Amino acid sequence: MFYLDHAAATPVSDKALAAMTPYFAADFFNPSAPYLPAVEVRKIYEAAKDDIASRFGGKGTDLIITAGATESINLAFTAVTSTDSNAVLISAVEHPSVIANAKKFPKFGTIKVDQYGQIILSDLAAKITPRTQLISVCLASSELGTLQPISEIAQLIRTERQRRLQAGDKTPIYLHCDASQGVGLVDIKVSRLGVDLLTINSGKIYGPKGIGALWHAHQVKLRPIVVGGGQEMGLRSGTENVPAVIGFAAAIKEADRHLASERKRLQKLRDLLRRELSNNPSIKFLGHPKCQLVNFLPISIPGLDAERLIFKLEQHEVYVSTGAACAARKGVKSPALSAIGLSTEQITGSLRLTLGKLNDEKTIKQVAKIILDVIVAEQERIK
Amino acid sequence: MKVFLGMSGGVDSSVAATLLQKDSYDVTGCYMKNWSRDLPGMKCPWAEDLADAKRVATMLDIEFKVFDFETQYRQKVVDYMLAEYQKGNTPNPDIMCNEQIKFKLFFDTALEQGADLIATGHYARTDGQNLLRAADDNKDQTYFLYRISDQALAKTIFPIGGMQKSDVKKLAAKLKLPVAHKPESMGVCFVGEAGIREFISEFIETKPGEIRELETGQILGSHDGAIFYTLGQRHGLYLTTGLPYYVVKKDMKQNIIYVSRDLNNSHLWSKQAKLTDVFIRAGQTVPKNLRVRIRHRAPLAPATFNAKTQTVTFTELQKSLTPGQSIVFYAGKNHEICLGGGIISQ
Repeated sequence: MFYLDHAAATPVSDKALAAMTPYFAADFFNPSAPYLPAVEVRKIYEAAKDDIASRFGGKGTDLIITAGATESINLAFTAVTSTDSNAVLISAVEHPSVIANAKKFPKFGTIKVDQYGQIILSDLAAKITPRTQLISVCLASSELGTLQPISEIAQLIRTERQRRLQAGDKTPIYLHCDASQGVGLVDIKVSRLGVDLLTINSGKIYGPKGIGALWHAHQVKLRPIVVGGGQEMGLRSGTENVPAVIGFAAAIKEADRHLASERKRLQKLRDLLRRELSNNPSIKFLGHPKCQLVNFLPISIPGLDAERLIFKLEQHEVYVSTGAACAARKGVKSPALSAIGLSTEQITGSLRLTLGKLNDEKTIKQVAKIILDVIVAEQERIK
Repeated sequence: MKVFLGMSGGVDSSVAATLLQKDSYDVTGCYMKNWSRDLPGMKCPWAEDLADAKRVATMLDIEFKVFDFETQYRQKVVDYMLAEYQKGNTPNPDIMCNEQIKFKLFFDTALEQGADLIATGHYARTDGQNLLRAADDNKDQTYFLYRISDQALAKTIFPIGGMQKSDVKKLAAKLKLPVAHKPESMGVCFVGEAGIREFISEFIETKPGEIRELETGQILGSHDGAIFYTLGQRHGLYLTTGLPYYVVKKDMKQNIIYVSRDLNNSHLWSKQAKLTDVFIRAGQTVPKNLRVRIRHRAPLAPATFNAKTQTVTFTELQKSLTPGQSIVFYAGKNHEICLGGGIISQ
């Protein structure tokens, strides 16, 4: 198998799996129960949360465990107190989950991006109004891997906050960053980035799926979506998913430890794959030439149908994807790829290759050859 | 020769593609997108089916197209189906879909786009002129095809019509088609027989009514809408009486369902059916010695057809001749020629 879709899902690491295993059966207790073994589980659970939060320079008590990034994003949007239809600004390259939440505010604004998918700061500055309450920008676009200038965005927000303070305007303004892509490859610290809300998830960093978190700064007032027993500081009720959180913590710890070396390794592999694929001049590389996650290699072969390529490649056990192909089948164009100015033909021919632990130099060379062969065969077929 | 093949993402049309390819046709796989809406309790699998069809087409290196017929399907098939149910009939949407969508709209569009012929994965055969029963008697689908136009039939290939279903499956497995082990969709393609009730409820408001015993007039219980019930139906009555009851009569105006315990009730059995919308295929004459089918897979029953009165008379009593369903005529050697048929009006 040649797996080039690490941005979609990653296998649970041995360490994470081993860490979480005892909490399914042996230490199954409900962390809210009063007896000692349950209290022990509670302590371990809290410690795991602290561990996760500390990787981002935060505290466990500011971390709300959710069922994944989608729920975290939904929860982040509850920070908006106003019903103003224009209270929200998002970038043009956000995940569908962010777009769907923004649509709850019919006149939400979209921040323009350049040809690489990076937001244009001047456009953001011009779009912040006294009514803006939430700006949601991803750490890196899930289709392009382009990194966003989060701390510069935070600076703009600080300026606006200052202005409101002086004007006696108590309307809050927050920055939410969806870091679903990038954990384990970018050193993310909430204070350095200047974010007020941070979405992270476990399923893309070799932890279990169905678990994620939202970190929030103290001043951000959130409203729970799931109410009940009052777990997670009253912001997300329901018995804690102890094994998943333990697995999440173990995965993030491991990712953190290997961050520098894995970054270097993946960048080298990605550049190798890029060089190999450059042998076919019809392949265009997408995303930012410098500010891009080191494991991302989005490409476009104008004139080809990416979904056919996916089905061809799967016959060789090469697994790649693109959000764009799936959207295209359903008759909609990828908003992110449209936003960077790609034509329909370029979008239809776009694939997202994302590298990770399952790749090494040998397999990258092999897979590059398969991809090149499949592309040439398709190009021959439609000639 | 350029052939446009309707591909549903199932085993039959996938194997059909390989057979056409083997016969050196220039094949274009076509997915007809007729319906995409999920309904309560029913996830419409169109996106997965489309992906499967495209996956097979890609594997075989054939051209692939998607035809979006949702608007027309809604008008020609769904609206017809709902109108028939409202009249108290039990329509057959598959027959309508073949007549109006697959062998009309798809046929016309395919020819417009340069096809010489069309093909489908139906179990039926043709000699270029006659519509013939499939080699696999258990899978024969001519019941659903009797109304397709003669022009379309003249330019249609049924690549698997001469095969047994079991052989189609074996071939799919041998060729390692990714859909070889995909379960078959049954009945109304998008909801299946089990979902028809939910489907109707989405579009038509229904009212509860009485269930009465035919013989005594006694109220036995209540139903959630006469529209949901079909003549001869035994299940889904939720009567708390021991022995099974059968639906024998529907009064749509009063919204009353009449049931009987008597399987021999005269309402349930009949030797005659009056037809409407009779369609006799080109070049066919209806002979004296006729065999007919009153539903898909029903045994071929001896009968006569009076063209003047549009009436079918059976040699033997038939159970639940259901208004809205079709009676399809067969004749010739082994009764293999499908002559046409009509829709039961009463």
